[in-house]
Amino acid sequence: MEEKEVILSVKDLNVIFDLRGQTLTAVRGISLDVYRGESLAIVGESGSGKSVFTKSFMGMLDKNGRVSGGEILYKGQDLAKFTTQKEWREIRGKEIAMVFQDPMTSLNPLKTVGKQICEAVMLHQGLRGREAKEKTIEYLSDVGITMPKLRYNQYPHEFSGGMRQRAVIATAMACNPEILICDEPTTALDVTIQAQIIELLRDMQKKYRLTIIYITHDLGVVAKVADRVAVMYAGDIVEVGTAYEVFYNARHPYTWALLSSLPQLGVKGEKLYSIEGTPPNLFMEIRGDAFAPRNPYALKIDYELRPPYFEVSPTHRVRSWLLDDRAPKVEPPATIRRMLERWKEVEAHE
Amino acid sequence: MFKYILKRLLQSLLTLFIIATVVFFLMRLMPEEGYFGEKYDKMEPAQIEAELRAMGLRDPLPVQLFRYYGQLLKGDLGKSITVQPKKAIVNIIEKRAPYSIRFGLISVGISLCVGIPMGTVMALFKKRLPDKLGNMYIIFIHAVPAAVYYLFIQLYASGLFNLPILYNNRDPSSMWLPIISMSLGGTATYAMWTRRYVVDQMNKDYVKFARAKGVSERRITFGHMLRNALVPMAQNLPASILLTISGSIYIESLYSVPGMGNLLLSAISKQDNPLVQALVLIYSSLGIFGLLLGDLLMVICDPRIKLEREKENR
Repeated sequence: MEEKEVILSVKDLNVIFDLRGQTLTAVRGISLDVYRGESLAIVGESGSGKSVFTKSFMGMLDKNGRVSGGEILYKGQDLAKFTTQKEWREIRGKEIAMVFQDPMTSLNPLKTVGKQICEAVMLHQGLRGREAKEKTIEYLSDVGITMPKLRYNQYPHEFSGGMRQRAVIATAMACNPEILICDEPTTALDVTIQAQIIELLRDMQKKYRLTIIYITHDLGVVAKVADRVAVMYAGDIVEVGTAYEVFYNARHPYTWALLSSLPQLGVKGEKLYSIEGTPPNLFMEIRGDAFAPRNPYALKIDYELRPPYFEVSPTHRVRSWLLDDRAPKVEPPATIRRMLERWKEVEAHE
Repeated sequence: MFKYILKRLLQSLLTLFIIATVVFFLMRLMPEEGYFGEKYDKMEPAQIEAELRAMGLRDPLPVQLFRYYGQLLKGDLGKSITVQPKKAIVNIIEKRAPYSIRFGLISVGISLCVGIPMGTVMALFKKRLPDKLGNMYIIFIHAVPAAVYYLFIQLYASGLFNLPILYNNRDPSSMWLPIISMSLGGTATYAMWTRRYVVDQMNKDYVKFARAKGVSERRITFGHMLRNALVPMAQNLPASILLTISGSIYIESLYSVPGMGNLLLSAISKQDNPLVQALVLIYSSLGIFGLLLGDLLMVICDPRIKLEREKENR
């Protein structure tokens, strides 16, 4: 691999929420480097803290949430120390932009789409009047919206779902960011549109040399776009590696479970795999490995001590005691092995 | 758009026609002594009959009804009987209305200028001190009968600020107390609705998205949230403005302002049937007109509302 420049470095980040007098720990000591120009996918089930984790890069946590420890280093600044809206405004949009899940509600229903994109153009590119409008129209056609001049004056309700997501992406592009966070960018769209939006995001990434962080639970999307994958469980990254490593050489039992629950094309009659049990209660302090109670391979130590990261390769690290030298050798479950064989077959055909 | 306005206008006229008819019949159910006032007791039955006939009240009902329609179409509201005997009602109202309109416009202006910013501040400081104080005010105004604090203001504020207790034409400072009293209720209502609608907007995704693109809080508040919050209010605004400028019955009588509200009060107490009829008609047409304006304003403010089914062009 060529040398990579770290653009965003998160160190031992903790995020907590105050909920009716109780404290919920949504992010428990995550460390992660994001490299310039890469696509990083953060996957995990609902409530695993993936949205909260990325929102903390933009100071967009809900009012009762805050970073309680750790650092978020970006261009020599520690974002975790930011407190005022004024500081965050220097980051939001200009440096880090975000695309939300639901394009139906991300746009102001009472302003024309053009005006809303133009707002970002004026704010971040210092253009005014006609220039700003022309630039906006350029962005609209950039994201594949036909008849951009007409569309400029239309309202969000005159756009279809896919078109709105394109407009949202155009808005994010108009901010001219370094990093784009896409929070489930395709979840609210129908399948045929999903592929187009993913394609568009990849085009934009190439054109503007963006770093994109995808948050998703759709492993299909991950396989298509991600250079690297981070698997989150209960507010922690349990496995991170290149997309190839995580898909073909997964080592954490939770990643196995996630992969096993993928529906397989052409496999009929088998019951779809689902992970037993429920995620841990984040109000309580978690002892040992958070996944242990649901993990069929759990060891005694999993209930006692939180596992450290074990390096599988320089790019691949896994938080599981199974990788310790003293642990018994465990093979991935049969479903995974069969799945891998099938993938390799498909690849051979291609 | 034009077709829609025309349709709504016709609908409003129909409603007005029905109201006029109902009012007419209600008035015929009133006792007949109302047409004579105090002199009724001293009159001979034959004399009464003769006068009633002269006024056309002994004609068959349909004849009376159509005569009444005909007068309305000509803009003739009839003549007052007891309040200002024999005087054309149009002329009476002409004199009275400017007072009510002046008082009403100023107090609506105050209500809007205080109420909307107050509601916005309350929403921005939700659950904190400004919100709590505002809510206390709103609950007080709505829970305590208006008569209580109107009287309180009249009795104590007049002494405290050395202002006249009653309105008089020559002293402009005598307008303060009635106008402030009138605007208290409106302020509370506008503040309550503004707060509610702004809070509604605050948690919308588009607000978060605007924040994520780096828009300042001030711009989000004024350029996005407040504007969107005012749309649902647009519908009720014209009706409530029109009703305020048509005169507050209670305040006008309290401060003896010679406006329309006071006129209605004396018309009812003196059983001046034609005058009551005319005033009820005027109030209801203002109400109907207000609703119509509200709907139109809503259409102007919210691009999502389509007036007619347009041909699908997508």
